[in-house]
Amino acid sequence: MKYEQKSNTPLDTEPTATHETVPTWIFVLALLLLFLSAVYFDHHSGWFDAQVYQPYASAEELDEYQPKSGAAAMLAEGKRSYETVCGLCHGYDGMGKPGQAPPLAGSEWVNTKGVNGLIRVPLAGLNGPLTVQGKDWNLSMAAMGAALSDADLANVLTYVRQSWGNKAGLVTADDVKSVRASLGARPKPLTVEQLKALAELK
Amino acid sequence: MTDMQSPDPRPQTPDPKLDASCGLPLLALSGGAALWLVVGSALAMIASIKFHAPDFLADCPWLTYGRVQPAADDALLYGFCIPTALGVMLWIFARLSRTPLSMPLVAVAAANVWHLGVLIGLAGILIGDSTGFAWLEFPRGGSVLLLAAFLLIAICATATFGQRKERELYPSHWFLLAALLWFPWIYATGNLFLVAWPVRGVVQAAIDYWFANNLLFVWLGLAGVGTAFYFLPKLVRRPLQSRYLALFAFWTLILFGTWCGIPQGAPLPVWMPTLSAGAAALLLLPLLAVGMVAWRTVWGSVKSKWDNRPFCFIGAGMDCFVLSTLMLIAMACPQIGRVTEFTWFGPAQTQLQLYGFFAMTMFGAIYYILPRVVGFDWPFPKLVRVHFWISLLGILLLIVPLAIGGVIQGLKWTNPGVAVVDVAKATLPFLRVSTTGLLWILLGNLLFALNIFALTLVWKLALLRKAVAIVKTPLTTAEAKA
Amino acid sequence: MRNGASIFLAVFIALGLSWCGFVLAPTRQLGGAKQATILNSSDRYPLGRPGEANLGLQVYRANGCAACHTEQVRQSGVTCDVVLANAGKNPGVVSNLVSTSKLKELTKEEADGVSQKIAVAGGKTEIHIVATGPDIARGWGMRQSVAEDYLYDYPVQLGNLRAGPDLANTGVREPDLNWQLVHLYLPASEVNGSMMPPFRYLFEVRKIGAAPSPDALVFPKGFGPPAGYAVVPKPEARALAAYLLSLRVNVPLYSAPFTQ
Repeated sequence: MKYEQKSNTPLDTEPTATHETVPTWIFVLALLLLFLSAVYFDHHSGWFDAQVYQPYASAEELDEYQPKSGAAAMLAEGKRSYETVCGLCHGYDGMGKPGQAPPLAGSEWVNTKGVNGLIRVPLAGLNGPLTVQGKDWNLSMAAMGAALSDADLANVLTYVRQSWGNKAGLVTADDVKSVRASLGARPKPLTVEQLKALAELK
Repeated sequence: MTDMQSPDPRPQTPDPKLDASCGLPLLALSGGAALWLVVGSALAMIASIKFHAPDFLADCPWLTYGRVQPAADDALLYGFCIPTALGVMLWIFARLSRTPLSMPLVAVAAANVWHLGVLIGLAGILIGDSTGFAWLEFPRGGSVLLLAAFLLIAICATATFGQRKERELYPSHWFLLAALLWFPWIYATGNLFLVAWPVRGVVQAAIDYWFANNLLFVWLGLAGVGTAFYFLPKLVRRPLQSRYLALFAFWTLILFGTWCGIPQGAPLPVWMPTLSAGAAALLLLPLLAVGMVAWRTVWGSVKSKWDNRPFCFIGAGMDCFVLSTLMLIAMACPQIGRVTEFTWFGPAQTQLQLYGFFAMTMFGAIYYILPRVVGFDWPFPKLVRVHFWISLLGILLLIVPLAIGGVIQGLKWTNPGVAVVDVAKATLPFLRVSTTGLLWILLGNLLFALNIFALTLVWKLALLRKAVAIVKTPLTTAEAKA
Repeated sequence: MRNGASIFLAVFIALGLSWCGFVLAPTRQLGGAKQATILNSSDRYPLGRPGEANLGLQVYRANGCAACHTEQVRQSGVTCDVVLANAGKNPGVVSNLVSTSKLKELTKEEADGVSQKIAVAGGKTEIHIVATGPDIARGWGMRQSVAEDYLYDYPVQLGNLRAGPDLANTGVREPDLNWQLVHLYLPASEVNGSMMPPFRYLFEVRKIGAAPSPDALVFPKGFGPPAGYAVVPKPEARALAAYLLSLRVNVPLYSAPFTQ
């Protein structure tokens, strides 16, 4: 059983390699696959965010799908109500519309320390010449917020006071309730003097 | 410039001392490996039977499914695949360097250390000391020995490489040298980050996925393809077609293959599975390149080499490499992965990789190398062909039902209306067929082990005879006077 | 590739890059211990398992339970449901809207739109976030598993194969200690047709002495030890059951939100 080189078998040679060039199509395929992988990565990877897990594709998408409650919920609700009730005249961006309503963004009547004056405006309405951010407005506003509940109006006013660069505090449902109680049913529209008096009070 | 024939002007007959220098290390490595192969197949059979008969050996805690299955997998990978690959690597380096193996006794010592490590590791798993990480289950004692043994053999191989007389590198050099660096790095990382100073939380899973992919796909790919690229041109007596395509295959394998492994639904931030999915798509490149090199090299010679047994094994191994890589790429596609994740499709792909590709390639290499280094032909040459056909049958009966069963299982898991027990029942017929496949594989492995043990015995007997002859020789007068 | 040094360099670059990407980067990103805050609450999660449950995790590991069970819930999508909270001053209009609009399985934009319509009509709605997927439809969890779920576990036993059901929320599905123990001793007694092997070696069958042991398992009808004997769990079985009972991950987090 001894292993011997048989005489009729060719010699045991070491292999060699040819020098043929690599076909071009495989490089084209490589570039194509790299491109497709990059696109796939862009769309699906969440760009290395540690919080983004499959099936969310980005941090923004994950943020959208958070169940809202508390302050965030208030703002979300307030935004919805604002856009339904106030946005047509005051603008969805709070910039107001000439001839219709003054702006709320950056308005000194919105960013007050106390909230009594502000709450009265949608509850009772407002008449008379008003200066907002240096511009004169002489319009009359109906009591657009009278139909809203305490909580809803609080949400809307909180939204107004915390959007478009406004950085004022919350308005709670209790605030609205006490103002509504003090106004009574069918209040007459405020005049600008009354509003000024209130704003200075607090 | 096409080089269909590039005759080597240097002398072709290999130095017989070269082959003989590899004899002891190869016998040490492959003898133990054959033993672990049989042990692994037996354990796999026990594990497989437990699915049809859950009560089978249920009262023995050593043989509970959760211990026996990882032990079987590790016995196949660490017990057979890696040491055989190391032995083949040493011989290929010696041959390509045209010098005898450096420090063969170090390699023999390393082989013994390796097999001791595997013994400790497998025993550790069976008594319940497994680390709990897939493909890293060996407890600390075993894994330290494995790493030490690997480093010793890497030193031998690198020393042989350093002393090479033939200075131009052959493609197999790249693959096999890369494999020598790859394993210690990933194995040390796995053990340091997961066992010695464990990282916190789900990062363990990420590193385990990384390790498993780099070992099972990249390392086995490097070692197996490197071996195939050496033997295929040698056996068909044509040059490898071509050097640059093999280089392309090498680069794409190591650049992209290493990023696969994180499954789509893993509880990890989505950038990790996305990177793995992208890398898996890019695996088409090494797949095509390796396939093209192998096909172009053997094209036209397949029929004439049909009776060359090592060639059959290695050819079958290459076919299984292509199939298993395709399965890997398929599993990484999100739409397919959603169905096949957590099903038998995964183990089917792993077994095809381990056994169909790597073990078959190693069988072919060992069947070629051992007679040349030991100096004796196989004691049972006909069993080699029987082993080939039985292995092929076993692979077919093992992998195909597992793959199909896995897909059906996946489809049922994704249908919430199907009860858990019904999903299990639906996979049973496929598991039964795969158990018969394992039986054939066990039989084939027994034939392989039989041949190796008989060869070792023949070699030892010859050594003994030589020793006795030396002792019995009467002293010459010169020696008697001294 | 001219020499060994260039091969070494190539391997160093390739493996080094993926080592940085999948070993170093996750360790830096997720490796620091960080509890998360449960959504809409100030509670922290996770709180760490009780001692016996941690021992149970080691029993889980030693017996290789992860070979057949996974501990990760997957999620394939997320949808919104619009739920009416208050009919408001125009209940008729609102109820008409509610009955004619699609209210379930909407995207966020669609849900916002429906909400807006109902708000215009005076009603108040809430948007509920719902995680979807086959695992969730099977009741295996209410949201996918995220890093915080495994924060204090060593080793993390995610599992690779579902020969049996997922266990991430098994403490929610089967909160009874006796059920878990009986299921370990004889799975077929609790789950008809189960392929799970019986783990009898984790238990002792004892002759009932003067009084039955308080730890004895209570079996369903038709199963159980012969008369005069009781099955008592060994410490490993109790630890394993404690671990299984501690597996609950149904809390909403920022990275896996849902409305409870």
